[in-house]
Amino acid sequence: MKRKKWISILLIFVLVSAIFFLVERDGKTKEKNVVMIVKIIDSTNDFWTSTIKGANMAAKEYGISLTVLGPDAETKYEEQGAMIQEAIAMKPDAIVLSPASYTETPEYAEKIEDAGIELILMDSVMEKEMGSCVVATDNVDAGKKMGNYIVENFSEDVNIGVVGHVQGSSTAIEREEGLRAGLGDLAENIVDTVFCDSDYRKAYKVTKEMLKAHPEINVIAGLNEYSSVGAARAVIALGLEDEVHMIGFDSSLKEVEFLESEVFEAIVVQKPLNMGYLAVENTVRILQKKDVPQYIDSGSVLITKETMYTPENQKLLFPI
Amino acid sequence: MKQEINGKKPILIRRFKSIRTSILLSYILVVLVSVAVFAMVALNYTEKTVLENAEEYSTQLINQVNSDIDSYMDYLRNTSILISSNADVHDYLFGNSGDAAQKEEQIERIITQFRTILDTRDDIVNIGIIGKDGKYIINQGLFHINENIELENVEWLQKALDNHGITAISSSHVQNVVAGRYEWVVTLSRGLQNKSTRDIEGVFFVDLNYSSISELCDAISFGNRGYIYILDEEGSVIYHPQQQLLYSGLKQEKIDEVLHAKERSFVTEDGKLYCVSKSSETGWTVVGVAYVSELLKNSGETTKIYVISAVLILLAALVLAVFLSREITKPIKVLSNSMREVEKGNFENIMLDVRGENEIDRLGASFNMMTTEIKHLMEQNVEDQRQKRKSELMALQAQINPHFLYNTLDSIIWMAEWGKNKEVVLMTSSLAKLLRQSISNQNELVRVEEEVEYTRSYLTIQKMRYKDKLEYDIQVVPEVMRYKVAKLILQPLVENAIYHGIKYKEGKGSVLIEGFIKDEELILRVTDDGIGMTENQLAHIFEKHETDMRRNSVGVLNVHERIQLYHGKEYGLTYKSSPGVGTEVEIHLPYEKGEQHEEEKMD
Repeated sequence: MKRKKWISILLIFVLVSAIFFLVERDGKTKEKNVVMIVKIIDSTNDFWTSTIKGANMAAKEYGISLTVLGPDAETKYEEQGAMIQEAIAMKPDAIVLSPASYTETPEYAEKIEDAGIELILMDSVMEKEMGSCVVATDNVDAGKKMGNYIVENFSEDVNIGVVGHVQGSSTAIEREEGLRAGLGDLAENIVDTVFCDSDYRKAYKVTKEMLKAHPEINVIAGLNEYSSVGAARAVIALGLEDEVHMIGFDSSLKEVEFLESEVFEAIVVQKPLNMGYLAVENTVRILQKKDVPQYIDSGSVLITKETMYTPENQKLLFPI
Repeated sequence: MKQEINGKKPILIRRFKSIRTSILLSYILVVLVSVAVFAMVALNYTEKTVLENAEEYSTQLINQVNSDIDSYMDYLRNTSILISSNADVHDYLFGNSGDAAQKEEQIERIITQFRTILDTRDDIVNIGIIGKDGKYIINQGLFHINENIELENVEWLQKALDNHGITAISSSHVQNVVAGRYEWVVTLSRGLQNKSTRDIEGVFFVDLNYSSISELCDAISFGNRGYIYILDEEGSVIYHPQQQLLYSGLKQEKIDEVLHAKERSFVTEDGKLYCVSKSSETGWTVVGVAYVSELLKNSGETTKIYVISAVLILLAALVLAVFLSREITKPIKVLSNSMREVEKGNFENIMLDVRGENEIDRLGASFNMMTTEIKHLMEQNVEDQRQKRKSELMALQAQINPHFLYNTLDSIIWMAEWGKNKEVVLMTSSLAKLLRQSISNQNELVRVEEEVEYTRSYLTIQKMRYKDKLEYDIQVVPEVMRYKVAKLILQPLVENAIYHGIKYKEGKGSVLIEGFIKDEELILRVTDDGIGMTENQLAHIFEKHETDMRRNSVGVLNVHERIQLYHGKEYGLTYKSSPGVGTEVEIHLPYEKGEQHEEEKMD
C-alpha cells in the first residue's frame, strides 16, 4: 500500500513536471536582441539606407529583434558614442557597430565589451583591434579591381592621379594599397595622390590643382563618392573628359550619370545591402556559438557602361 | 493459490504481488496508451489540417496577387491597343504631310491623352511613343530620350519591334531610356505599324511602377518570415525580397522547381511551403513561401492544450484507478484475510458478510459454507478421536491383570485346601465383585461410591494375600460419594502403590485412600508409605513404560489421560514422593454442586 502511494505520487510528479517543461520550453525560445549602430541615418544616403535594409532583411529571416541607431551626420562620432552608451543600457545580446572614427570610437566601443555584450564591427575598423568579427568591403580587393582595370584597358604610358578621401583613414589606405597592387608595375606611374576630406568642393579644387600641376595625367582614380564626383566635375570643367580616363568609387545618381555619359569608364561599387545582411546573419551565428571567420568581405564589383543594366548591377546602382 | 487456471500463466497479472496493483497498473496503462494514441492522432490531424489550410490560404493569396497583376497588365494592354490604333499617333510618327500648326495640334492631342492616363493612374510612371526615325513623345512631352543610351541595346524596345504588334512585357528593370529618371518599372511595349509600309516602325510603351508590384507582394503576410516572389516566363526574378542576395550568391531560390512544379504547392526538405500560381495573362509565376514551423506555431498552443488535457485525464484516471481497484479488491482482501485465519486454524469471526450477487460474493458464500463444514468436521474429528481413545483406554483398563487373577485363584485353592472356608468365601466374593464391576458396568462414568467399592474389593483380596504386610484405610467423605467420575481411576493407583511402593518395603506397608473437596475440586488421594520414588522416577511417571507392560501396562498414564479426556485438561493426577518415606498421588476431579443434582436427576 505504501509503495503504491509512492508510485502514484511519482507519476503525478512526472506528469506535472511534463506540463511545466512544455510551458517552459515555449518561454525559452525568446528573441535575441541586437542593436546596430551605423554611421548615419539619412534616407537620402543610399549606402546606409541599403545597409539598414539588408540588416532588417536578415533580422526578419532569423527572427531577431533589431534596433538601428545612428547620428544624422557621419562626422558626429561623439553623438555616435552617446548612442553606444544608450545601446549598452538596452542590454542587447550583441551590438553591431560601424565606428564613426578610427581613433575616437574605441573609447566608447570598449564599454560594449566591458558590459559583456558581443561586439561586431561593420564597414570599418578602428585603431584598436576589437570585436569578434568584422563585416566590411574588402577595400584592398576593391582597390585592386580599379588597378586591374587600368592595366587591362589602357596602354602602358598611363599617368595616374589618385583622389583620396580622408588621409590616414583605413579605407583610403587600403583602397590605395589595393590600387597599387592591382596596377603591379604600373604603380610607378602614379603621379600624385591628393585628398578631399570627403567634400565635393575640395575634391573639385584639389583635382583641378593636381591637373594643372601634372598636365600629363590621363587616368584619375577616385577613392570614394565625394572624391570621384568632385574630380569628375573638375575634369568636365577643364573640358578634359575625352582626354582623361576616370574610374570612380561608390555609387550615386551623379556617378551613374557620369558613367552613362562616359565621363567615368568604370566605377567600383560596394554591396551595402549584403554588408548589412551579412553583419546581422553572422551576429546571429555568433550568438548561436557557431564559428564565424574574423573578417567577412561583403564584396565589391566593378561596373562599366556595358554592365550597368545587368540584373545584379541595376540593383546595386539603383537601390530601392 | 498456486494452482493455475487452465494451466496457463496470465503473465502480466502474475508479475505483481497483488491483484490491486495489477488492476491499477493495467488500468493506467490502458488509459495512458489510449490517451497518447488519441493525442497523437489529434495532433497529427491538427498539424495536417493547419498545413492544408495554410496551403489553401496561401494559394488564394497568391492567386489574388496574380489576378491583381493581371488586371494591371490588362489595363496597360488595353491602353496600348487604344494608343496603337490612334490616328494622331500614326500620323505623328509616320505621316509626312501637314503643316506645322496641324502637327502642333496633333502633338497636343496625344499629350492630352497621355496626361489623362497619367493623372488617373499613379502606378504608371512613363507612357510614350518612339519612332524609328527619332521622333518621340514621352509623358507630357517634357521628358526626353536619354542621349547616352543606344536604343538598339534596349531590350524591351527591340522586343516590341520584333513582336509584330503583340504586346511584350519586360522583367523588372530600371527605365534608362527616359533621361534623368531612373525608375524601377515593368515595361509593356507594343510595336506600331506604319500602315503605308506595313512595317513596324515605332514603339508604344507604358511603364508600370515596380513598387506597385513589390508593395503588393510585401503587403501580403506569410507569417513573419514568409514571402512572395515573382518569376517571368524565362525564370528571371521580377520580384524577390532578397533579389540582391540572390544575385550575389548569398541566397538560393528554387526557380526550376517552381517553373516545372506539377503541384500547385509543395513542401521542401528544409520545411518551407511553396505555393505556385502561374498567370496565363503575363506568363509570370507568383510564388508564396511560408515556413512550416511558423505555420505550426499556432498549433503549438493546440499541442499544449492537448497535452494538458491528456495529463488531466491521466490524473483523473489515476485517482479513479486507485479508487476502483480498492473497491474491486476489497472483498477479495477480506476473503484472503479470512482464509489466512483459517489457515492458522482460527475459525472464530471469519464468516464473511455476503450481500451481493457477483463472483466474489458467490466465492464468499462458498467460503462460508466450506469453513462451516470444515469446522464441523474438525470438531467431529476431535470428538471421534476422543471417543476412540476413551474406548481404547477403557478396554485396556477393564482387563483384569491375569497374574492377579491367577494369584488370587491360587490363594483361594490354598485356603480351600487348608479348609479356611470363611476366608475362601470372602476372597471369592471379593473377586466376584471385582469381576462383575469390571465387566458389567458399561457406563463410562461411575459414582465415586462404586469406585471406592471396587477398590475396597481389590484391597480385600490383596490384604488377604499379603496378610500383615498390608494395611489399608478408606476415608471418603459422604458428599463426594455420588459424584460421577471416569471409571477405573482409583484402583490402578492403589495397585501401583502396592506393587511399586509397599511390595519392596521391609515390613508392614499401609495404603490410605481419602476422598474430599478442596478448592472447588473433588480430590481422591492415595497415600502409601512404601519405598517412594526419586525425583528422577517422579519426573518420568507419566511416560509410557513399554517394559512395564506386564505389570503396569495401562497404569498411571492411562488414568491420567482418561481423566483429562472425560473431565478436561485442567484435571488429572499429581504426585508427591520422596524415597523411603512414601508416595502421595492425588486425583483432581471437577466438583460442581449443580452437576451433582443433574447427575442425580439423570440417574
